Amino acid sequence: MKNRILVVEDDAAIRDAVLLNLQFADYDAVAFDDGKKAADALEDDHAYDLALLDIMLPGMDGFELFGLMEQYSIPVIYMTAKTDSASEIKGLRDGAEDYIVKPFDPLTLMVRIEKVLKRVGKWNAVYRVRDIVVNTETHSVTKGGAPIELQPLEFDVLVALLRHKNMTVSRERLLNEVWGFDYLGETRMVDVKISALRRKLGLEDAIRSIHKLGYRLEDR
Amino acid sequence: MKLSNRITLLVSIVLTVVILAVSLSLLLFAKNTILSLSVEQVQRKQQTLRTSFSEMANYYAANSDSDAVHASLVCYCFTRFADQTSVLMQDGEAVVSSVTIDPSAYVQQSDDYGEAEPVAVTVQGRRLLIAGSSTSVGGKSYDVYVVEDVSDVYNRISRMTWIFAGVSIAAIALGAVVVMLLVRRSTKPITALSETAREIADGAYEKRVMIRTKDEIGTLGEDFNRMADAVETKISELSERNERQRLFIGGVTHEFKTPMTGLILHAGLLRRANLSEDERDASLAHIESQTQWLERLTQNLLKLTTSDEEIELQSVNIPELLDAVKEGVEPKLNERGAVLSVQCETDTLVLNPDLMHSLLNNLIVNAANAYDADTPEKPILLTVTGKTFSVSDRGRGIPKEAIDRIFEPFFRVDKSRSKKQGGSGLGLALVKTIADAHNASITVDSELGKGTTVSVTLP
Repeated sequence: MKNRILVVEDDAAIRDAVLLNLQFADYDAVAFDDGKKAADALEDDHAYDLALLDIMLPGMDGFELFGLMEQYSIPVIYMTAKTDSASEIKGLRDGAEDYIVKPFDPLTLMVRIEKVLKRVGKWNAVYRVRDIVVNTETHSVTKGGAPIELQPLEFDVLVALLRHKNMTVSRERLLNEVWGFDYLGETRMVDVKISALRRKLGLEDAIRSIHKLGYRLEDR
Repeated sequence: MKLSNRITLLVSIVLTVVILAVSLSLLLFAKNTILSLSVEQVQRKQQTLRTSFSEMANYYAANSDSDAVHASLVCYCFTRFADQTSVLMQDGEAVVSSVTIDPSAYVQQSDDYGEAEPVAVTVQGRRLLIAGSSTSVGGKSYDVYVVEDVSDVYNRISRMTWIFAGVSIAAIALGAVVVMLLVRRSTKPITALSETAREIADGAYEKRVMIRTKDEIGTLGEDFNRMADAVETKISELSERNERQRLFIGGVTHEFKTPMTGLILHAGLLRRANLSEDERDASLAHIESQTQWLERLTQNLLKLTTSDEEIELQSVNIPELLDAVKEGVEPKLNERGAVLSVQCETDTLVLNPDLMHSLLNNLIVNAANAYDADTPEKPILLTVTGKTFSVSDRGRGIPKEAIDRIFEPFFRVDKSRSKKQGGSGLGLALVKTIADAHNASITVDSELGKGTTVSVTLP
């Protein structure tokens, strides 16, 4: 089952971009441009695993919406242009899981969302692409029902590509997310793992090398 | 050296010199007077003695037969008038003497029979006045001396000198103390002034001096306080202005963040994601509108900062200005379906035409935006009466609690609607700045659901 995410953001450009990024990563996303409208809709449907809230919202601001989120036990990440630390502290003290300051990098947003979902135990551990199922809990991969053997590092690179599905991920970023730090000069390692993944999973056409940018796992 | 000490020292020196001079001259005068009195007294005494003795001796002894009789008569006559100061000598030998010295050793023998000038001498620690002269008795010459001991007079003079010295020193000391206290008292306010000045320099702008004297220092204190008032006012104005600027820059930054975020996200999508044709178009449309919005924002910011400065005023034909404004704003009004009517009763006014154009343009666009999209008729009225420009609409009006804030940069009554209409949040801030630059006053008359009238009155 896909994780379901509520987005409340009044700026159309940001809202559309975030929605697109969430869709790429296989999230089920619902968006509102007004705090009041979002609050009203929550009465009927509040089965969300996470909420991304802007703070300055028409109708009802992010801090006001937070009360409702608590009521329905929906963890909250604030997306805010407010750089003053006072509002950050208020957001976190009230119990928000995280905040991200505008302008932000969409890949970072995806990582934060995943971390929060894992922390609150709502993380959907299963990724799917074509006939491949990747379970991050059991560390198992099947293709068409048949188990595939992957090295631990190959598995982690695969998960990182799935996390940012349909988005190009740079080699540096892959190193950072898989090895945990910048493995300077060792981006070759990534290329080696990628070619192993392509071969073992038959994803030669899906894992694309994007010139000068990195790799993209396409699934649309 | 401290001013008070310097003044005290100077005054004390002058005081000492004056008192010493006065007492010294008094002392000398007194001493001379007393001494000359003594001299006169001795002179008179010797004169009387000589005359009396001479008359009596000549009467009795002038014709005596023998020398012995003569001598004893002379002795007798002399002792009749003599006291313990009298001496009678003949040829350097004392005939009758009550003193232990030989006066002839001190007084020059003379044949002068007239007045004898007394001579002052010191013998064995005693001060003596000796007067002597000759007289003749029966052809024989005798010397008559008076030897007066005047040590007591000198003692009295020396006592007097000591008393004078004591009184002078006491007077000098008293004078110095009084001067010091007076000077201290008059320089105390100066010390207070200097302390307060230092405190103010260290940032305690609210400090004032408390000087209540009615002299020049009191005036200085009042002037000082006036200056401190001016400094405090200026400083608080500056820090207020600073604070406003800080808030404004914070607001500007915040306003830039949102379109920047949209741009970054969509640029990222275009570059990194495998988007469909439609998604690509939508992303590009977002980028276009966000950059247009940023452009409007920077244009308005530029106008806002430049119209803050000194502006050039000129006599402007108002109907012409209004025509230009109407022509310029027409496309935006047509877009929104609003209709502008203009009433003008004024020929010329002194103003800056470009800035006033901008002001009216902003007010008219705001008036058009005050209508809900589905309102069938959207009339806007621009009137100029006397020196007042008014723009009225019959739109939704402004909530009472918001009226005071609408001229703040980035304040929006309805944030999302304003953004949809492309508002930068700076329109009314610009209106206010332009009005301020003209020293014009603004009034806002608004009722929810009935409409709004904004009037700008030139001075």
